[in-house]
Amino acid sequence: MSAGRQSLAGWASVSPALLWTLVFFAAPFAAMAAVSLFPKDGGGFSLANYTQFFANPSYWRALTNSLEVTLIVTAVSILLAYPFAWILAFVVPERWQRLALMLAVLPFWTSYVVRSYSWLLVLAEKGAVNNALIHLGLLAEPIQLANTRAATVIGFVHFFVMLLTLTIFANLKQLSPNYRKAAADLGAGPIRSFIHVILPLTMPGIMVGAFLTFVLAIGDYITPQILGGNNELLMPQLIMMQIGRRGDFASASALSIILMAVVTVAYLLCARWLKIERA
Amino acid sequence: MARIVSTLYAAAVYGFIFLPVIVLVLFSFQATLFPIPPFTGPSLRWYEAVLRDARLTDGLLNSMLVAVATSALATLLGFLSAWGFARFHMPASALMRGLITLPLTVSYLIIGMGLLILFNWIGIPKSLITAGIGHVVINLPLCFAIIYSQMGDHQANVERAARDLGAKEWQVLLLVTAPMLWPALFASFFLSMTFSWDEFVIAFLLTRFDTTLPVEIWNLLRAGLNPKTNAVGSLVFGVSIVLAIVFELVAFRKRPA
Amino acid sequence: MLSFRLGRRLAGASFGILALYGASAANAADELNALVWCDHSDPNLLAPFEEANGVKVNVKEFEGTGAGLAIVEQSQPGDWDVMVIDSIDVRRGVDRGLFAELPEDKLPLGDLFPEVRMDDMTVIGGKRYGITEKFGYNTIGFNKSKVDAADMQSLSILTNDKYKGRVAIYDYYLPVIGLAAMSIGKKTADLTEADLPAIKEVLLKMKANAKAVTDVVSSQTALATGEADILVGGGEWVSAVIAKENPDLDFSVPDEGAVLWSQSLAMFKDSKNPDLALRFIQYVLSPEGQARLATSSCYWGMPANAKAALNDEQKAILRFAEQPEFLKRAQPYPAPSEELDKKMQDVWTEMLQAQ
Repeated sequence: MSAGRQSLAGWASVSPALLWTLVFFAAPFAAMAAVSLFPKDGGGFSLANYTQFFANPSYWRALTNSLEVTLIVTAVSILLAYPFAWILAFVVPERWQRLALMLAVLPFWTSYVVRSYSWLLVLAEKGAVNNALIHLGLLAEPIQLANTRAATVIGFVHFFVMLLTLTIFANLKQLSPNYRKAAADLGAGPIRSFIHVILPLTMPGIMVGAFLTFVLAIGDYITPQILGGNNELLMPQLIMMQIGRRGDFASASALSIILMAVVTVAYLLCARWLKIERA
Repeated sequence: MARIVSTLYAAAVYGFIFLPVIVLVLFSFQATLFPIPPFTGPSLRWYEAVLRDARLTDGLLNSMLVAVATSALATLLGFLSAWGFARFHMPASALMRGLITLPLTVSYLIIGMGLLILFNWIGIPKSLITAGIGHVVINLPLCFAIIYSQMGDHQANVERAARDLGAKEWQVLLLVTAPMLWPALFASFFLSMTFSWDEFVIAFLLTRFDTTLPVEIWNLLRAGLNPKTNAVGSLVFGVSIVLAIVFELVAFRKRPA
Repeated sequence: MLSFRLGRRLAGASFGILALYGASAANAADELNALVWCDHSDPNLLAPFEEANGVKVNVKEFEGTGAGLAIVEQSQPGDWDVMVIDSIDVRRGVDRGLFAELPEDKLPLGDLFPEVRMDDMTVIGGKRYGITEKFGYNTIGFNKSKVDAADMQSLSILTNDKYKGRVAIYDYYLPVIGLAAMSIGKKTADLTEADLPAIKEVLLKMKANAKAVTDVVSSQTALATGEADILVGGGEWVSAVIAKENPDLDFSVPDEGAVLWSQSLAMFKDSKNPDLALRFIQYVLSPEGQARLATSSCYWGMPANAKAALNDEQKAILRFAEQPEFLKRAQPYPAPSEELDKKMQDVWTEMLQAQ
């Protein structure tokens, strides 16, 4: 094949995906950026949608609320998922591991919207959790779980524990058992060998999962809307409100771009662990 | 001792993971109007209600259609581009690969919002097709990343051998490369299906009357409290389990026991 | 059967791709596109009309006029045939040139309760653009086995912390701002920007007592599951639909009054199917349509037509007999200008974000 035909075939095979991304991802983003600079109330070009965000504390708080919730969710999910993935990888016998993983993923094939709503009912005053705690004598009276930030966090953690378990499990399985043995031979105790050998080697799995958790959680509308009871607003709720209440696309666009900027910062922080390499 | 702690811990995590789903399925058989304790069933009343609700059954079919069509397209585009980047020396290859994977790092809400504004501006009406376009945007980078990561040099050698034997480029791609990458293609397709099937916000923003199941469920949730929501959730669960079993059988039957 | 329908859909979709740049295929001659509140998507209401006329009614739900008008703004002319809109906001649709004049001689105007005809809102420039179909109150809904019904007769309950942590607030800024205004002696019809600081103070006190701020269905859920015992902004629309299962749910119209909500039907000027749109409006306002609408699965409400075919039990749940008394004390929704509307929404957002 000649060099000319070579490059023609190369372009022919990559251009559909490139075009798709340019037309349906880059162009919408540009349109959004443009729209955000022309506020709905008229008056032409203006940064009002951005200054409003920084000037109005109730808008600004949506972002800090989102960051708080997302960071709590990410941290709690990692802490819960890591030991679980460890048990699946090293305690559960090899031939049961696939089944154990399947079982962990199974509940997530119910619809996401329905699952959030199910959590609302589970956490309600007359719901399963309060009922069980009262029956066990751990509570005298039902406590408020539904319609709180805690409910939002529980709903999120539920999903992301599963996700992080998968990424960390995959990472643990790739470790050669020799690492642990070598560390032990060199006289490192189990804790030191974990901190100095195993943990650094599983950072890629943790960071990929943590980044996915961050991106998906900070942009999610359903979970806080169903479980949070509107006791506080997160960014996606504020964005949807701009469209839902008054069709203000300009303001919604500006808020989306601010959210995107935050995610980009998170990406840059994790970038060294997120490379896609060829086999 | 460590074994007992491990077992207890794993049991607790499984309990947490299964709790809402067990409650969900149990109260789908509730006989009365509220899906909260005490349990008054079992009754199939709400399943009947779901199957009689044309909006929900249509939503189910629409979701299947969108999931299959967009996953097929995303896998095809991902495969072609992964092959192009792996086999040809492209200028600014890293930059272009970065562009294709970029949507992975963007929240669905922002992707949906951007498309809504673009389509609104050009005057393209909302439909299942516009939602499907959005689903390809979110799934293409995933398919590309999975397939690209599986493109090894040993496959290039086989392709070269096929070419030396006189195969045309499209024949190589279809008859040599694709079969060799079959597990990656299948994984891409299946993962895309999963994401598209359960995606809410893009479909919510970009469809009008004909819409996908998650959006219909959202509408249902806003139209009155009853265990119908539980019933439709349990049905989705059932369908998904069947698909998962099919996936198991197809994807892993070649593995030695 | 399923595979047949799937096949039809596949064919339809591939055809749709071809037609993407053609005219919107949505408005077939046998389809009616309705922009509605969720009470109109009940199959019990739509099915008789669809069967009698051999058509399909496509519905899209919204909550709040701003949201409804936003959907219209995102659509092409001719996409919609009819809209359910708060009576007070018919004027906003007319100002935007959206609605068509309705033929008064073809509608049962004489059968409507006179208090809810609201001609000052639905007749503009001598032409009728809307007709009231359903009404009710945004007031205090409560569980009478859990709270003292006597306390619910005064709007001072809004800021009283006797039931702290037992209260949910309906997440619609207009009626709740109206209630807050009435609790400090202001008239809903005369609100200006100068009233907002005092109203905000009431809202923040309400929020401090509240457990959640909930939409239509989560309001019902909150009362039904015992999450809340009082719903500010509630009324027959939330308690009636679940009264069969929980007869303790009730509502009061306090001495200071309540906010009257009233929905009207309007027809779009650019409708591609004006005859069918008119027939739909006639059906909804007929005694049968009115009964079905009044007892719709999403929320109940008083029918505007006094001849609605409701049975005695249904009338008792809706408190038919007390209506004259309630109507005397009721005030309409606040009707802010676009500018004041945005300010009200900002106050509302602030209330949501307050701890």
